[in-house]
Amino acid sequence: MQANSRKRLTAVAAAPIVFSLALAGCGEGSGGNGGNAGPSPSAASSPAVGASASASAGASASPGSAAPGEKVKIEVWSTKFEDTTSAWLKKWVDAYNQSQDGIQVNLTIVPGDAWDQKMKAAQAAGKAPDVWNISYNGIANAAKLGQIQALNDLTDPAVFDDLYDNMKDFVSVGDKYYAYPWLVEPSTVLYYRKDLFQAAGLDPEKPPTTWDELLEYGKKLTKNGVFGFSTAQVAPELGWTTWGLQYNAAGHLPITDDWSQADVQNDGYKQLLGFYQQAYQSGIMPKQQLAGYTDATPFGQGKLAMEANGSWAIGQLRNSFKDMLDKVGVAPMPTIDGNPANTTATLGGWTFAVDGKSKHPKEAAAFISYLLAGDPNIMLDYFRTSQFSKFTPRKSVDEAMNNDPEASKDEVRAMIAGKIVPYSKPEPIYPWDISLAFGTAIESAMKGTDVSKALDKAEKDINDFIAKNKLAGTNPKQ
Amino acid sequence: MFRKNYRQDNATAYAMLLPILILLTVFVVIPFLYAIRVSFYNWSFYQESVFVGFRNYDLVLTDPLFGKSVWIGLKFAFLVVPATLILAFLFANVMKNIGPRMSAFVKTSVYIPTIISGIVASIIFVFIYDYTGGLANYTLGLFGHQPKAWLAEVGSALPSIAAPAVWLSFGLTSLIMLAGLFDIPESYYEAADLEGAGTFRKMVHITIPLMRNVILYLLVTGFTAQISQYELSLVMTGGGPLNETTTPNLYIFNHFRNDVLVGNSIAASLLLFVVLGGISAIIFRVLNSEKAVDG
Repeated sequence: MQANSRKRLTAVAAAPIVFSLALAGCGEGSGGNGGNAGPSPSAASSPAVGASASASAGASASPGSAAPGEKVKIEVWSTKFEDTTSAWLKKWVDAYNQSQDGIQVNLTIVPGDAWDQKMKAAQAAGKAPDVWNISYNGIANAAKLGQIQALNDLTDPAVFDDLYDNMKDFVSVGDKYYAYPWLVEPSTVLYYRKDLFQAAGLDPEKPPTTWDELLEYGKKLTKNGVFGFSTAQVAPELGWTTWGLQYNAAGHLPITDDWSQADVQNDGYKQLLGFYQQAYQSGIMPKQQLAGYTDATPFGQGKLAMEANGSWAIGQLRNSFKDMLDKVGVAPMPTIDGNPANTTATLGGWTFAVDGKSKHPKEAAAFISYLLAGDPNIMLDYFRTSQFSKFTPRKSVDEAMNNDPEASKDEVRAMIAGKIVPYSKPEPIYPWDISLAFGTAIESAMKGTDVSKALDKAEKDINDFIAKNKLAGTNPKQ
Repeated sequence: MFRKNYRQDNATAYAMLLPILILLTVFVVIPFLYAIRVSFYNWSFYQESVFVGFRNYDLVLTDPLFGKSVWIGLKFAFLVVPATLILAFLFANVMKNIGPRMSAFVKTSVYIPTIISGIVASIIFVFIYDYTGGLANYTLGLFGHQPKAWLAEVGSALPSIAAPAVWLSFGLTSLIMLAGLFDIPESYYEAADLEGAGTFRKMVHITIPLMRNVILYLLVTGFTAQISQYELSLVMTGGGPLNETTTPNLYIFNHFRNDVLVGNSIAASLLLFVVLGGISAIIFRVLNSEKAVDG
């Protein structure tokens, strides 16, 4: 009897081993596994997480803690974007390391899907990097939780004057700046094949401007193995790619400004869900997505006649699908009513911030200033290698770009900067679960659920989430 | 003299056990106890963790998605494990009766999927299930059918993910079944032949009862492994059309990635531990209600 229960205990205790082995076995690279070994030593030392935070705050008050002549080492982690971006980062990190003797920067580029695990494991072990990139919509929450520090005291505040006014708001909470912006990119732009338009009898210089027109053109263009239109079709992608269209349809996002309840029942959202439902059910979209929303490969390969994608896609097309370029047209995403002066996209983008527990915050801030807020040519180099598919938040860099011969000739850049960016809104900062609930509603509608039922479920899920997490009144920007 | 040997053996035995006990304590027992402690806090890496009592457990238990993911995990295990056991059993019988050279080749090649990482297998199957260029839709096209959205349709997503899971676990299962088959003395079969029993009766009355321990082991380990499966859903569908392929571990993983505080994920993991342990215990009770008969 005792043997049986011991056997049972071992079998039951083996489940976590199986789970952890499975997790270790399929972790991305060895970095994640190294982080996983962290929890046991920190188990003894973390009973007072607050005590260790205050201890490191004391240490960071004396930045000159390295012996004279010895370089201060700082760790910089960046998400892996395009290869051209990684190359640009490495180049300027090397240049920085060579240009001065005080600070040695160690750059690590982390694949996007491994970022959360690696970051959380490092944070748990107290080994988070000094500088890491964070997207605009994460800044307010990270600041509230102490994960990133204010930059006002760490760097010359004049660098923030170079930012456009609306973009200062992206990186600030209250009167403090918590990160320096790197780039902005609108999330939704319409790419279309001018040659296929012509073949179907449509005017290649007149892309669709309303959702009904888009559906109609899509039907005419779906033939010979080519699909008329493609956009996100799974809930996690619909959650963020439709923010711009949510503004377009209803003028607001699915919750009230004070985050106290869902704001989902309106005709605009019904039309939005109806649009996606018709796009999917009518057959102009592939029933299973050919690639993720952010990947323009199927469009570059000629499988799609129209595609909604972010502004980065033109960079991908220019780098990888050069023969397709003269057939590609770019336009703002169609709107609910054809009014071009309305939001269709949100401005996403990335920044670099200094970790809350960094031991060398001044050095970290110095590096960020050098890279992002320093010589405009460094940023110009970045925008050039990304084929001008990304946009700058700095006035001085925009001036340099207007004087650059290549940049000033770029029509796509001019169109996006002129017709999309001025009307784009910032990304929401409320928890992801709310956007996911709305994205799930859209996916349900696409897969056949009645639009009102889908919206009712989204409203219920959002209100439940708000209640369980006591979200009401916690908007840091209010 | 007898007593002295006995004590020496004891010391050696404990010395042999010590390394694994230390490893288990450091990597399993301590983190487990720590996890239980942390699950009662809003665990933050940057600020004071706040004691919140059972709130994390409450959040998980009242989340309809947690219950749904446990149900999906059970469905997935019921799709994969019986299919694997039956296929592996039939294949093991085939392997038992082929010549030595062929058998070496077959045993190696059937084991290869076991050492392939689940992520690699998922990517291969994503290519197979690709809507316009994949092997699956190409085969359907040969029969004149329309291409099928294997991974995007609510009804077909979970079975489509079950296929690579069966493929991955097939090799090891059939080799273990083969070992179990070899354990059955030939004399039983000869005696049955004398009585005039056909193949089917021999299988039902001799093979399967004598393989019961092997089948029980494979059932429990297979079940635990499949209900903990999450890499296939992560890579192939990301949780699936409308959460239809969100297995329990994927639910925990998604919360870990997206949540600002990780208390929810820890509570969910511990609850899942209880669920899995309970189900494993039930399987043991149901299938092992008589003492294991040896031969």
